[in-house]
Amino acid sequence: MSTLALPLSAVAAILIAAGTVGYGVAGALVPRGRPWLAERLAWSFAAGLALVGGSVALAFSLHAAPGWLPFLVLSTLVVLPARFLRIRERAAVLPSPRLSPVSTLLLVVLFMGVALYALRALTEPMWANDYVAIWGFKGKTFYFERRVAERLFRWLSLSFSHPDYPLGLPLLYAGVAFLLGRWDDHAMALLFPFLQAATLLALFGWLRRRGASRELALGAAALLSFFEPLYRAFTTGMAEVPLSFGLLLLGTSVCDRLDRTDRGAPRRVALASVVCTATKNEGLYFVAAALVLAALFSPERKGFAARAAAMLALPAALVVAAHRLIRGSQPLRDFDFSLLARSGALAARVKESVATAVAETPAAAWIGVAALAVLLLAGRDSAPGNRLLALAACGVAAYVFLPALAVRGPAWLVGTAFFRAVAALAPLVAAGAAARLIPLWPEPAAFSRDGSTGSAPGPAASAASPGRPTLSTRES
Amino acid sequence: MSGQRLAALTASAVLFLLLLLQNRPAELLRRVTFLRATKSRELALRRLAGSGAAFDRNYFVFLESVRRLIPPGTPGVAISVEKPTTQALYLASYALAPVPVLLSPRQVPPRWIAAVYGPERPAGWREIAAIPGGALYARP
Repeated sequence: MSTLALPLSAVAAILIAAGTVGYGVAGALVPRGRPWLAERLAWSFAAGLALVGGSVALAFSLHAAPGWLPFLVLSTLVVLPARFLRIRERAAVLPSPRLSPVSTLLLVVLFMGVALYALRALTEPMWANDYVAIWGFKGKTFYFERRVAERLFRWLSLSFSHPDYPLGLPLLYAGVAFLLGRWDDHAMALLFPFLQAATLLALFGWLRRRGASRELALGAAALLSFFEPLYRAFTTGMAEVPLSFGLLLLGTSVCDRLDRTDRGAPRRVALASVVCTATKNEGLYFVAAALVLAALFSPERKGFAARAAAMLALPAALVVAAHRLIRGSQPLRDFDFSLLARSGALAARVKESVATAVAETPAAAWIGVAALAVLLLAGRDSAPGNRLLALAACGVAAYVFLPALAVRGPAWLVGTAFFRAVAALAPLVAAGAAARLIPLWPEPAAFSRDGSTGSAPGPAASAASPGRPTLSTRES
Repeated sequence: MSGQRLAALTASAVLFLLLLLQNRPAELLRRVTFLRATKSRELALRRLAGSGAAFDRNYFVFLESVRRLIPPGTPGVAISVEKPTTQALYLASYALAPVPVLLSPRQVPPRWIAAVYGPERPAGWREIAAIPGGALYARP
C-alpha cells in the first residue's frame, strides 16, 4: 500500500467511526425512519465531529492525553443520555418510487461532483494560506504540545494566526491527529469531501422531507456538489466548508423548529448553534441573525423569544464562554469599530467595499447570479425557503459591510475573503431556492410523505406552509 | 410544461453549465498525474512538490532540514531570510510547529537557535549544522 493510502484509509475509518458514534447521538436529534435517514446521517457526522473536537478539549482540561480513551469516554457520556432522550416517533415508511432515468442521471452527476472535489482536496497536503497560518498551525501546535499553548493568544509575533478566531476547527484537526496517532495534513484533507457529502445529505434529506420530488432534491444536491467556488483545493483546510455545513444545519433546523415538524428540532438548533459558533467568528453572527429572523417569522408565538434564546443563544453563549476561559478576551484586530461612530468615513468605505466587490466579480459569476434570480422568480412563495434565503441575505450583507471596517482597507478584505466567504452560503441558498421550487416538482401524490391519500393537502402545499409531518408513535 | 418549470430548468441548466466549465479537463488530468506520481512519497516530499512550497521549493527543503535537526528542548528558532515575506513566515511557522518561529527578528531571544537561509554567516554565532540552503547556528 502506498504511503498516502494507509493514513488515508485510517482517516476514513476514523471519520466513519466518529459518524457511527454520532449516529447514537442523532437518535436524540432526529426521528427514526427512512424519510429522515439522509438527514440523520448528516447530523450524525456533525455530532461525531463535535465529539472528536470536544474530546481534545476535555482531555486538555483534565491534563490527560487526548486520543481514543477520552473520545470513547466522552462518547459514552453523550450517547447514553442521548439513548434516554431518543425520539421514539418513527416517520411513516411510505412506498418509494423507483429511481427514474432522470434521478439516476442526477445521482451520477452528484457522485461526479463529490469525486471531483475529493480529487481536488486530496491532490496534495493542505496548503492554503489560512490553513497554514491559522487553522492547521493551531491544530498542529495543539497536537504536538498536547495542550492549548497560551502563547498563541499572547505573543504579538503570532498575531498572524488570529488569536480571535474560534478553536473548533483546530481542535478537530488535533482530535483526528490524536486518533490517527500522527499529524498527517494530507490524509486529514479527507475530512473535507466527507463534510461535502454530509452537506449534500442534509440538503437532499431536508428537501425530500419538505415534499420535494426526488428529482428536485437530487438536482439541488447535484448542482451544489459541483459548486467549485466552495468545493475547491484552495478552500480545503480552511473554515468555509465546515461553516457552510453548519449554516445549512442551522437554517434547516430553525425552519423545522418554526414549523414544529418534530420534537428533535430544538435540539438540532442547539447543536447547529454550537457548530457555527465554534467554527468561525461570523458563526455567532449567523446565530444572532437566525434568532432575529425566527422572531420576525413568528411574531404571534407567545414565549417564543425565551425558547429561541434557549435553543440558539444559550449554546452559542456557552461556546463563547469556553473560549473566554481558554484564551481570555481577544479583540477583533482586523476591524476598526470606531468607524461606526464616523458616518461620513464609514459611508465612503461601504461604497468602496461594494464597488470593489462588484468590480472583482467575474462575468461568469454575474451569469450565475442572473440564473439564480430566474430560479427564485420561477419558484413560488415558501416560508421555509424565504427564511433560508433571508439568512443567506444577512450573510451577504455582513460580508459586504464588514470590509468597510477593515483596518487594512475595504479593497483588501474584499479581495482576500469576500468571495470565498459568500461561497459558503451556497448550501443555504440551494436549500432556499429549491424549497421555492417544491410546488413545481412535488413528490408524486402516491408517494407523498404527509401520509395523505390524495384528498388532504399535498406536499406542495405542505412545503409552503408545512404542518406537522406524519410521525407514528410506535415505540422502538 | 409550464413556463415556470421551463424557466427553472433553463436557469438550472445554465448554472450547471457554468459550474461544469470550472472543471478544466487539463487541470483534472494534471491532478490525477500529480497524485499518481507523489502518492508513494513521504509526506514532506508531497508537500515539497505541492502548491504550498511552490513560491520557493528550496526554502521548504531548508525548513524541513531545520525541523529534523532542531536540538530537543529548543525554545524557538529565529529564521533569517534575505527578503522576509508573510508567506515565508507562515510556512516556517507551520512546518516547525510547535516550535515558535520568528522571521528575521532584530534580536534573537535567549536560548533560541538561528537558522540562516542563504550564504550569510551571523557574526559571533557558532554553526551547529550545515543544511541545504543555509545553516543552523547557536550562541557560543
